[in-house]
Amino acid sequence: MGWNKVAMVGAGLIRMGELFDQSYEQMAYGAFKAVVDSVDKGFDPSQVEAAIVATQRGTLWGQEGIGGNTVPSAIGIAGIPCTRVENACPSGSDAFRIGAMVVASGVHDVVLVIGVEKMRDKSTEEGLLSRAAAGHPVYNRGETAPVLFAPFATRHMHDFGTTREMLASVAVKNHHNGALDPYAHFQSEITMQQVLDSPPVCHPLHLLDCCPQTDGAAAVLLVSAERAKEFTDKPVWVAGFGVATDHPYMHEKSSYVGLPATTMAAERAYAMSGVSPDEIDMAEVHDCFTITEILDIEDLGFVEKGKGGIASIEGETAIGGRIPVNPSGGLLAKGHPIGATGVAQVTECFWQLRHEAGDRQIEVRNGNALQHNVGGRGSGVAVVNILTTNAS
Amino acid sequence: MSDDAKSAALCPVGVLSVGASIPRGRLAVVDIASAWGLPGGRGSVAVCGPDEDTLTLACSAVERALDAADVAIDTVGGLWWGTARPPMPEGPSYAFLATAVGLDETADGMLASGSIHAGVDALWAAWDSVACGAVKTALVVASDALIPGLGTGAERSTGAGAVALVLCGLDGSSSPAGKLVSRSSFTRPFLDRYRGDNQPGTGDPYDARLYREKELVPLVSGAVDQIRDEIPANARWSIPDPDGRLGKVLARATGAKEVCSEGVFAKVGEAGSAAALLGALRGFQDAGTVCVVAAGGGRSSVVVVELSGPLPGASDAISEFDGGARGVRPLGYPSVLRSRQQLVAMSDPVPMGVPPGSAAFVRGNVEMLRLRGRRCGRCSAIAVPPSIHPVCPSCGALGGEEIALARSGTVQTFVINHTMPPPFEAPLPLAVVDLGDGARVMLQGMPEDASELSIGDEVGLELRRYALERGAPVYGFKVYRLPSDTSASSKDEE
Repeated sequence: MGWNKVAMVGAGLIRMGELFDQSYEQMAYGAFKAVVDSVDKGFDPSQVEAAIVATQRGTLWGQEGIGGNTVPSAIGIAGIPCTRVENACPSGSDAFRIGAMVVASGVHDVVLVIGVEKMRDKSTEEGLLSRAAAGHPVYNRGETAPVLFAPFATRHMHDFGTTREMLASVAVKNHHNGALDPYAHFQSEITMQQVLDSPPVCHPLHLLDCCPQTDGAAAVLLVSAERAKEFTDKPVWVAGFGVATDHPYMHEKSSYVGLPATTMAAERAYAMSGVSPDEIDMAEVHDCFTITEILDIEDLGFVEKGKGGIASIEGETAIGGRIPVNPSGGLLAKGHPIGATGVAQVTECFWQLRHEAGDRQIEVRNGNALQHNVGGRGSGVAVVNILTTNAS
Repeated sequence: MSDDAKSAALCPVGVLSVGASIPRGRLAVVDIASAWGLPGGRGSVAVCGPDEDTLTLACSAVERALDAADVAIDTVGGLWWGTARPPMPEGPSYAFLATAVGLDETADGMLASGSIHAGVDALWAAWDSVACGAVKTALVVASDALIPGLGTGAERSTGAGAVALVLCGLDGSSSPAGKLVSRSSFTRPFLDRYRGDNQPGTGDPYDARLYREKELVPLVSGAVDQIRDEIPANARWSIPDPDGRLGKVLARATGAKEVCSEGVFAKVGEAGSAAALLGALRGFQDAGTVCVVAAGGGRSSVVVVELSGPLPGASDAISEFDGGARGVRPLGYPSVLRSRQQLVAMSDPVPMGVPPGSAAFVRGNVEMLRLRGRRCGRCSAIAVPPSIHPVCPSCGALGGEEIALARSGTVQTFVINHTMPPPFEAPLPLAVVDLGDGARVMLQGMPEDASELSIGDEVGLELRRYALERGAPVYGFKVYRLPSDTSASSKDEE
């Protein structure tokens, strides 16, 4: 039933964190080595025919424009065709989608998708917070990243009775999962009280409602369906994907309780894959803030609109719950190295569907996983990728 | 002066209304004194927040004066602005204010500056333009938010504020409550308060007794004496009071019996170019004669106003002494120093994505200063701001009509940002607001509203300074919470 023209045959990432001792290039090499080593039947770097690189913001480490040439040189395969993708927070997941389309086009049979992001070479004030002064000098002034999601929390709480405890339950669950993930930035549990007592960052969001700033890299190998068996007997198929855009400015959102870009992208991915929300076994979704995961699980169709907070606090999205969400720890615990995030999420889906996720393994019932990112100023773009182990 | 030098018959003009704007922030003078290890200090001075300056004060005073006169801005022939320290000493200060108040691009007017005498300079020039028939209706605004030098005596007396008057001809087409009937001026070259070309703040270097008794008293008397015969004994006087004591000395010297400016200094300090008209506000409440005396920059001038009844707008203007409808807001000395950029973080403040000289501001200044949107000709949705929407974001249609957006609405949702780099100050509310005309905007709110803001709150919009970079200000509208006893509908009707 799925599209299934392209197979994932390898996936890998480096331990996320504040990687002050690693350069952008060293992180890229680490992720590439991990993906090469992950291929069941062996893989030689020279087999890569082309690469798609996701890096969202080179300015965070002083690079105005990173071309597609930076990564092949760093990982030892200079000369291959390589293009950089930038599409806001979904850059990594969009690179994956584009990589799949490149393979499906027949131009290249073996494509590396690699996401690399250096977030911590600049201080917070010079890095992400400086966006308070970016964009329109009036309509965006003061708009740090939480300002793009906190208005949804205010309105969701007002309209549906969502509580700070419900928001906090997302952080508690994802830190629990992160403690089981050897690649996560944060690998320790937190309590609900710790979330509630953490300092306010952007009311109603507090520090532990927010993802950290993380350096990281992740990579996957995509090959044509015909050649998948050369690399593995357990391929994971690209069942479908969807991308959607919405108005970028916060004052142009149609509502403040949902993200239309996510809904549209999901509808397209579900239609392409023939998979419905209740056939998804697990999802890696964009939880840059706790409220974002609550919006996501509603907009992706896992729970009814308005019930995301209750579903979270009641454990429906825990590893053993009805629909496990972010078993990797999500952006909140695993981290959010922007260009790498989507690729790392796909990696988690790959491992979960192949029963390789260790202590955080979910129960695979239907063989389908969903990966999602949303971002771009006021959530102006979303990407959903659906993966499956079910051969068409 | 020779008898031929002045006209025997000065041509009077009408005064339709007055409007005032005084920043709500108040700094206790004792706080300034104690910061410098000095004893004492009485009263408080009105001080700007980081997003206010002489232009934002002038803008709201003008809007209030127009409201009080029920005059539409498109019937105003010109704007005369007096301010000792315009936001850009060289630059488009006047053009920014004229645009912000909605004045027609072809209108007359000028920016008078150079000293705190500038308010009266602007008033005289506007008077002349109305009298000679160049314009029928004129706006005059005197405003200042001077930046005193650190540790100077001026620091303990410098306040801020703005007063606007709407003037008209006396051709019978309108019946103004006030008339400008007489004036005089006197000049002597001496330094009182001044700021040199390379100095950041205003200081007052002279010995206080020399300044008070040897210079200022004869200066002001020199102006008053010229027209003393024309001033009735029961006139109400606005007398300069640069330090809270000199006002009494000057009143004695000039023979002013009823001093309507008394007590103003203790509430707001000395508001530079606006001081003379602020001191006159209490005198504008009833029929009679008001003598407005200004002094500064080695000049003193007197303007005599005759009133047939209360001047429209006077009582609202007087309420500004106590913070207007929203009340005063006590501010600490460090916060005032930050607002004046006299206290700056060692880390460089984060620059804007594009500097104020960028083409982005050429495209966007008018729509930011006037809060413009574009109403779609097909689906009537309003796009904000027009320059970033080549087509209607709702239906994709091209074109439509540019409109001025409503200045009030309700909060759809909001946040309070606590985490920003310098020069931002927390807590900073940011609100998505559904305006009365159906447009939606997201704008900054006021820090003092942070603890109370809620979804559904009625809010108003007013011009504030969003940034000051490379010496150039960026202005746009901000959201303030309307006091709960003021309904949005009554605000809309104003």
